[in-house]
Amino acid sequence: MILAALLLIPLAAGPISFCLRKRAHMEAANLAAFGATFLLAIALALEVLRTGAVSLCDGFFRADHLSALVALLTASVALVCAAYAVGYLRQDERDGVFDGDDESAASPKIRNYYALTPLFVFSMLLMSLANNLGVMWAAIEATTLASVFLVTFYGKVTSLEAAWKYAIIGGVGLSMAMFGTILAYYSGHHLAGSDTLAGLNWSFLAERAGQLDKTTMRLAFILALLGYGTKAGLAPMHTWKPDAYSEAPVPAAAILSSAMLNCALYGLVRFYVLTSRSVGAEFPGGLLLLFGVLSMGISVPFVLVQKNFRRLLAYHTIDHAGIMVTALGIGGKVGALALMLHMTFHTVAKSLLFLCAGNVSQHFHTSLFDKVKCGVIRSMPVTGTVFLMAMMAIVGMPPFSLFQSEFLILQAAFDGGHYTAGALFILFGTGIFAGAVMHVGGMVLGPPGEHPVASWHPWRDGSVLALAAVLVVIGFWLPAPLLELIRGAARVVAGE
Amino acid sequence: MQLLQNPEFGDKIVTLMAALVLVLQIAMVGQRWIVTNIRIFGAQSFLLAAIAGTIAWYNSAPHVFIAAVLTLLVKAILVPVLLERLVDRIEIRREIEPIVNVPVSVLISGALTLIGYIVAESFYRPEYTSGPASMGHNTLAVAISLFLIGFYMMINRRKALTQVLALLSLENGLFLAAISLTYGMPLIVELGVFFDVLVAVMVLGILVYRIQETVESLDVSKLRKLRG
Repeated sequence: MILAALLLIPLAAGPISFCLRKRAHMEAANLAAFGATFLLAIALALEVLRTGAVSLCDGFFRADHLSALVALLTASVALVCAAYAVGYLRQDERDGVFDGDDESAASPKIRNYYALTPLFVFSMLLMSLANNLGVMWAAIEATTLASVFLVTFYGKVTSLEAAWKYAIIGGVGLSMAMFGTILAYYSGHHLAGSDTLAGLNWSFLAERAGQLDKTTMRLAFILALLGYGTKAGLAPMHTWKPDAYSEAPVPAAAILSSAMLNCALYGLVRFYVLTSRSVGAEFPGGLLLLFGVLSMGISVPFVLVQKNFRRLLAYHTIDHAGIMVTALGIGGKVGALALMLHMTFHTVAKSLLFLCAGNVSQHFHTSLFDKVKCGVIRSMPVTGTVFLMAMMAIVGMPPFSLFQSEFLILQAAFDGGHYTAGALFILFGTGIFAGAVMHVGGMVLGPPGEHPVASWHPWRDGSVLALAAVLVVIGFWLPAPLLELIRGAARVVAGE
Repeated sequence: MQLLQNPEFGDKIVTLMAALVLVLQIAMVGQRWIVTNIRIFGAQSFLLAAIAGTIAWYNSAPHVFIAAVLTLLVKAILVPVLLERLVDRIEIRREIEPIVNVPVSVLISGALTLIGYIVAESFYRPEYTSGPASMGHNTLAVAISLFLIGFYMMINRRKALTQVLALLSLENGLFLAAISLTYGMPLIVELGVFFDVLVAVMVLGILVYRIQETVESLDVSKLRKLRG
């Protein structure tokens, strides 16, 4: 029941918003849908904690701890971004971004935004709740298709370039994931019962992982890693990421960089579990470490020389995708726990950073560091403070929570004998830290200027403050059910 | 009538059609005109539908039949028609202008086919499927070659629309792989995949149209503003 409602509400909200005429009605429809989705995701998490895995339609949809965690994170980001989008798009309208469009009804751009975002969220939820590997693939392909026109939102030449890269690189990458899915199906094709629909279910294959064909499973994992890795923006398949994140409207970029990253990693984790149970953890672990460390390394120079703060955040996301993949590659109980903690913390901190960046770029009408003439903290005290705080959090400064998860990853790396990976992790982390402090610190704490002090925007600043409060609280205290959910998700990854 | 019951005959038919599919793929690499390319893609999809139909007939697998009919409707008819209408509307120069010239490209395609055959050898498990069901296994090599050549075409082409065609032929390779390895995915998964392909063509088509409108060129290598 919960599962069905969780999927149907955002699915229905898209077409409904498309049919509405007034902007206020679309806003209300989106907020209501995402509010309900958020509550349902919490209900699902509690249900999973109480009874174990929840399934629907003979296990076609199935939610274990891992799915419930990813769905909960997706729904939370979606709700915060929906609230933020109300303020953001109204500000865009005041700034005359949509001038020239028909005056009598809401701009088609706004209609697109409010109709596509629920569909985008729906496909992410479907990704995390589908048990069938084929449906998982179809869902993640649908996330690309639903978000392409969010990237082209402003209709500039650069947005089209970004969207084209995003769609084509994503499409080619995911075709490899499809091949991986076909091979995973083939590797279990000699087993009894594999001819039915259930033969492609993750739970079916995971239970029989020992009997899967090992050579095929290895090849399937390589292809799935390349495919879902493209979607997660691992180097060297990351080139679409800074473009898409800097061209999409800020709330959509926040969803892309946190919730969609989680979904892509989720797909990777599912394949990792199958492969490690079938051929042992060394083979997938080694590959994941390679891609993870490479992604961390590649983002360092780009962060150091970056001129545009939204692209800076995108390279941060590439770095964090690398960190999470490294954690998965290290594996074991500690690595898996660190991965799940990091995923949760990163989702909060990164979406908060994007929302702050959105406030700054709407106030100063630029995304370049140079053009922000005076210190952000002087003309936007709230945003400036939160921006700096979130930046400190994302580079792993204590007392924020990402320090704990990154420390845990390091501990797991050295315990597991991955000394090179651990050392490189520290080295690259230092580079990222330097870049972030230099650029964002300089921008936020700059000299006083003539720029007027920003007025209070209830929707935008309210959602930023709410998310900032969450970030501070989880630095010191995780609610017991959430911690239990994270531990459960780690158990799914590492085995019992 | 006897032939229609004889699986060996079916196997030969499937192999023949798979060979034709590969020939068409290489023809696509060599072809210079966009419209001809779209038609070759349509013919290739038609052959794929025929392969799926033959396999379904000899294995009496109804869900593969449905996949075959869907391939025929979506990939062999609907997608080519949509793409040709797009070409008419945007009035582009109708040549492809690849980066590497045609003779070298054809040679590279030949090398990729060889790789396809070597890879296919490595995970062929005859013991998993025996009897009439083993039909179509020799098409796996063709499927992998299609996939690899599709990748190559993707890299080798500059115009947005031709990249879409390359992506679609790559997708054809996937379909052939699914058919030859496992007689297709479960039906609902196939439906999801077809739906995605159709939506992807529309989304990419709209993007192509808008790129043409704004940049007045389909050469995506001219889109170079976003760096670093």
